[in-house]
Amino acid sequence: MASRLSRIWPALSRVRLRSALGCRCVSQTTKSSAAVASDLQPVSPAAQDSHGHTEVSPFEKNPDFHGFHHQDSFVDEWNMRLAFFFGISVAIVIGGTFIHYLPDHGMRQWARREAERLIKQREADGLLLMSENYYDPSKIVLPSSGEE
Amino acid sequence: MLKVLIPTIMLFPTIWISSPKWLWTTTTAHSLLIALISLTWLKWTSEAGWTASNMYLATDPLSTPLLVLTCWLLPLMILASQNHINPEPVNRQRLYISLLVSLQAFLIMAFGATELIMFYIMFEATLIPTLIIITRWGNQTERLNAGTYFLFYTLAGSLPLLVALLLLQQSTGTLSMMILQYSQPLTLESWGHKFWWAGCLIAFLVKMPLYGVHLWLPKAHVEAPVAGSMVLAAVLLKLGGYGMMRMMVMLDPLSKELAYPFIILALWGIIMTGSICLRQTDLKSLIAYSSVSHMGLVAGGILIQTPWGFTGAIILMIAHGLISSALFCLANTAYERTHSRTMVLARGLQMIFPLTAVWWFAANLANLALPPLPNLMGELMIITSLFSWSPWTIALTGVGTLITAGYSLYLFLMSQRGPTPNHIVGLPPFHTREHLLMVMHLIPVVLLITKPELMWGWCY
Repeated sequence: MASRLSRIWPALSRVRLRSALGCRCVSQTTKSSAAVASDLQPVSPAAQDSHGHTEVSPFEKNPDFHGFHHQDSFVDEWNMRLAFFFGISVAIVIGGTFIHYLPDHGMRQWARREAERLIKQREADGLLLMSENYYDPSKIVLPSSGEE
Repeated sequence: MLKVLIPTIMLFPTIWISSPKWLWTTTTAHSLLIALISLTWLKWTSEAGWTASNMYLATDPLSTPLLVLTCWLLPLMILASQNHINPEPVNRQRLYISLLVSLQAFLIMAFGATELIMFYIMFEATLIPTLIIITRWGNQTERLNAGTYFLFYTLAGSLPLLVALLLLQQSTGTLSMMILQYSQPLTLESWGHKFWWAGCLIAFLVKMPLYGVHLWLPKAHVEAPVAGSMVLAAVLLKLGGYGMMRMMVMLDPLSKELAYPFIILALWGIIMTGSICLRQTDLKSLIAYSSVSHMGLVAGGILIQTPWGFTGAIILMIAHGLISSALFCLANTAYERTHSRTMVLARGLQMIFPLTAVWWFAANLANLALPPLPNLMGELMIITSLFSWSPWTIALTGVGTLITAGYSLYLFLMSQRGPTPNHIVGLPPFHTREHLLMVMHLIPVVLLITKPELMWGWCY
C-alpha cells in the first residue's frame, strides 16, 4: 500500500503542479507518463467502494464478524461484548431496576392506594363515599340578596 | 449535574488518548456509563420544582426526560457511526466522535440551564457541531445547501430571541427561570409587546419545526450522516419544544390570542407534511417529514398551555425521539448496503433480512402510534386537550392520525414487503452491531409503557 502510494505521489504532484500553472488538459495525465497514469487506477483485484469495503464481504475473512471492527476479529468480538454488557446488562437492566425502585414521587401511588382502601372501607360500612358538601354549610355566611 | 457533565467532558481525553484499535470500544463503554449515571436524575428530590445542586444547572421533571434521552443517544450515535466512519484516518474518526461529544455537552447544559441566557447560548452552540457534521460528513453535494438552510433558518429565528431576552432582563432584572416562574403576569398591550412575544417564540417554532418554517429540516436530516440525523431528530428538535415550554410560563396573557395562528399552522402542518410523506420516494426524506408532522402535534399541544397538553407534548417528544432515531438507523442500514435512499431500490427486504423486518415493523408501528406505546399516549393526550380547547381541531388531528398511519404502513410495506428485486438479493447480512442498535432504541420505548410517569413533566 505504501509502495503504491510512493509511486503515485510523484505523478500526482507533477499533475497538480502542471494544472496549477494554468495548463488545461482534458485528461490530467501527459503522454509520457502513461505508465504512471495506469497506476492512478488501483489495479488490486478487489475494487474498493466508497466505504473502503472491498467487494469481498468481511464475513469471508471473519465468519463471526459483528460489525464493529473490520480488520481485527479480537477487537471486534470484545467491542461486541462490551457494547452488549454496558448497553443491556448495565444501562438497561441495572438502570431499569433503579428506575423501578424509585420512591413514590408526590405520593401519587400512595394516594391511589389510600383512596381504594377508603372506598372499600366506606362501602363495607355502608356510608356514603363522599359528602355532597365540601364545606360545612352552617359555617358559610352568604350576603343577603338585594345588596350590591 | 456535574456527575454527568464531568464524565462527558472526560470523554474528550478518552477519545484522543485511546489507541486506534480500541477507540470505538472505549467511547461506547464510557458513554453507556454516562447514560447509566444520567438515570439518577430521575430521582427528583423535591416534591415539585427544581432539583438544584447549584444556581446555574438544575433539573426538573420537564428537563429530566430530555436529559436522559440526550445521554442515552450518544452511545447509540457512536454505535451507528462505527461502520461508515471506519475507512477514514484515525484522527478524523476522533474528530467525528469529539463533535458528537461536544454536542452532548452543549445539550446537557442547555436542558439543565436555569438561566435563559445560558439556555440561549447553549441552544446556539449546538448549531456548530451539527453544522460541521452535516457539511463535512454528509454524502451528497446538497449537504452544503442543507447546512446553509439549517444554520440560517435557526439564526434568523434566534436573533429576535436574543433581543427579547435582553428586553426581559431589562424589565424584570433577572432571567433565572427559577425566579421568573413566580413573577407577576406582565402587562402587555402595545404592538411592541406583541413583537416581543413573537420574538420569544419564533426561534423555538423554527427549531421544532413549525410548518411554514420547516424547510430546513428535510434538507438537514437527509444530508446528514446517520449520527447527525439521529441527534437532529431525537434531541435538537426537542430543544425547540423545551424552549417553548419554558418561555410560555412568562408569556401570558398575550398567548391567549397570539397563539392562534401558530396552533392552526401546526395542525395544518400535520396534514400537509403527512400527505407529503405519502408521496416521497426518498426514504430519509419520508422520515424527516414524519418528524415535522409529529412535532406539529407537539407544538399544538404546547401552544394551548393546558396541563394535559404539556404532558402529552413531553411524552410525544421522548417517544418520537427514540422512534425517529430508530427509523433513521434502519434507513442507514439500507443506505450502507445499497448506497441509495430511493425506496423502490430497496424493497422486499423482509425476505433477505427477516430479523431486521421485525425492527422495521416495530419502529413503524410505534411511528403510527400503536397502543400501548407512549407515542399513542402522547398523541392522545394532545388530541384530547386540543379537542377541549376547540372541538373543531378533531377534524385536523383525526385526519392527521389517519395519514400518519397511512404513511407509516406505506414505509413498512414499501421497504419490507413485495418481491425482492434481483439486484439486492446478494446484500451483505446484518451485523450484530446493527441489531444491538435497534434493540437499544426499542427497549426503552417498551419499558416506558410500564412507567410513563417519568415523562409526565410538571403534572407529576
